[in-house]
Amino acid sequence: MSSVTRTLRNLWKSGVKDAWRQMNYIGDTKAGTLIGTDRWGNKYYENNEELPLRTRWVDYKSHDFDAAHIEPGWHAWISYLVDKPPTQDALLQYKRRAWEDADPRSIPNYTLSRSAYKPYNTVKSKITMWEPTTVERK
Amino acid sequence: MSSSPITGLILTSSDIANPTSRIVPLQSIATISTTSKKDATSVTPHTHTGLARQRKEVPLASEVPKKGAMQYALTTLDQVANWARQSSLWPMTFGLACCAVEMMHLSTPRYDQDRLGIIFRASPRQSDVMIVAGTLTNKMAPALRQVYDQMPEPRWVVSMGSCANGGGYYHYSYSVVRGCDRIVPVDVYVPGCPPTSEALMYGIFQLQRKMRQTKITRMWYRK
Repeated sequence: MSSVTRTLRNLWKSGVKDAWRQMNYIGDTKAGTLIGTDRWGNKYYENNEELPLRTRWVDYKSHDFDAAHIEPGWHAWISYLVDKPPTQDALLQYKRRAWEDADPRSIPNYTLSRSAYKPYNTVKSKITMWEPTTVERK
Repeated sequence: MSSSPITGLILTSSDIANPTSRIVPLQSIATISTTSKKDATSVTPHTHTGLARQRKEVPLASEVPKKGAMQYALTTLDQVANWARQSSLWPMTFGLACCAVEMMHLSTPRYDQDRLGIIFRASPRQSDVMIVAGTLTNKMAPALRQVYDQMPEPRWVVSMGSCANGGGYYHYSYSVVRGCDRIVPVDVYVPGCPPTSEALMYGIFQLQRKMRQTKITRMWYRK
């Protein structure tokens, strides 16, 4: 939860343009230092003066953003699994593994699209539903 | 000479010394199969109801382009409403089983749902989202439906865990509803047994994504 003074203070710090974008996408004004950008173009920020576990946040690149757009190494950082961001830790940086079929960046989340998973049954149904019929009133 | 206990084959000493000579190369079973091949495409689907219903393709919300000044104005109105809706999500806690523990973790400081504007409400009359967390039994089903009916519009349902999704572990039990979507319409299914709090949070993000694409005034204008 955010107080009015905090919102206005952060608006003053980050500027009107950034604050407008933040209110649209994050729903809160936040001021911090830019830590890095991942391959998608998402920007990662940090401000250690915020409340604990609210100190790191992401500014998504795409309009139709999704939490799955966060790169694995950055996900570890933003979830407080590690101290150093992937820009400072070579192990967390993305490397294409030999067994990987496709770049995970090219695999979208199909929810809310035509390709969304839909279960189906090819076996004849064991139950038949009641077919509602009404007799014409005389 | 020794007899194999499993197959009953008689193995000679040369076979035991060189077992690779007995291995038959792998063959597809299709050459010796007597049944005709049946692809999934050749199967005529059985309708669930038995009623012959025509399949209707409706364009998705994201596929319809905006046209006209009115559409643009209403889209902006919708965006404002959706923004308000998605940033103050008050769920009704319907904790039924072990999934409820993970749902509680979502409200604790580690996952901190408060920063997303999510506050758990104990009353269905004050809540927007119902998180069905756990096994829905036959005995609980009328209560679930009643709580859903008491929620004011607009309302959403998140089905959490495999028990709520489709019965899960208790699918063949005599006393469990095979999925809470038999009782209430479900917006987001969160898989897992139980799903982690992170998974539930991702489910809530998906619900927010759905809310962002909801046409409120545009649907009203179309009518």
